Amino acid sequence: MRNYIAVIFNDTGKAYEGLHALWQLDGDMEVTVHGAAVVHRDNLGQFQVDTKETHPGLATAVGVGIGALLGALAGPAGAAVGAAGGAGIGAATGGMAGLVADAGRADTRQEAAAETGFVLGDGQSAVIADVSEDWTSPIDTRMKELGGIVYRRARSVVEDDSWYGSDLYPYDYYLYPYEYVPPAYPY
Amino acid sequence: MGKIDTNIKDALDNVRAAAQGLHGAISDAAAKRGGATKADLEAFAQKAKAVADSAKGSLNAQNEAAKKHLADAVTHLEATQKHAVEAAKSSGQAFQTSIKKTLADARASVQKISEAVAAKRSAMFKKTK
Repeated sequence: MRNYIAVIFNDTGKAYEGLHALWQLDGDMEVTVHGAAVVHRDNLGQFQVDTKETHPGLATAVGVGIGALLGALAGPAGAAVGAAGGAGIGAATGGMAGLVADAGRADTRQEAAAETGFVLGDGQSAVIADVSEDWTSPIDTRMKELGGIVYRRARSVVEDDSWYGSDLYPYDYYLYPYEYVPPAYPY
Repeated sequence: MGKIDTNIKDALDNVRAAAQGLHGAISDAAAKRGGATKADLEAFAQKAKAVADSAKGSLNAQNEAAKKHLADAVTHLEATQKHAVEAAKSSGQAFQTSIKKTLADARASVQKISEAVAAKRSAMFKKTK
């Protein structure tokens, strides 16, 4: 089954361990990773796509999209405001990565949490990935070992969100242009 | 339960690794100061052709779902080659447009090969259950 996952960690270092573990699971043929990115929310509530291993030219492309992505993973309530917030701020900042998504507001946060439980709190980091998995145990077990909490939404459900493909989100793929694809397959 | 033998990685995994490497190299070149050089672009065109040939070579060994994704990937790889050749011969706005198309098709090929890998693994998983 094709899923978007969000794995929440309390610090960025652990999120990178999670990212590497995810690609290792791919190398072990337990899952197939189609793309992955690390997202961080600082103590002021600003979201940013971490540039450590995301290609710098892509990671700083534009603020549009990351609010939409996080919102989409949080559920329909988060999707609408996440997309709108991301588009507005991306346009206003002329391509700076990082934005304050409205999905972080307390009321929206509660609504999103009620639907899926996915919330990225201040100071936390998340691995966001598009994966194919025949069973959920490999990712759940490995991420639990690393202290991560896994949330899932089926890709088909995310893409059924009514705003998907609108002018607010100009890409045909949620992780684009933020995804990290390893330069070499991790054998 | 359902664990797949990790020793049976095959040509498809190698094709995926090669396509990921190609996409990474193109995005690195596109992002660098001064942009991709003519030599870079000629190398990308050759690599795209080589990956497309490898993908074609492993088509018949795949199940139907994987075969369809892989055939789509070949189309994108051939387009990658074509756009890289065009970029090497152009300048200005036409050059930028060709670079963007080269990158977009390389990325699309990685996605399609990834989907082929997932289809193949899923079929193997069902067999081992």
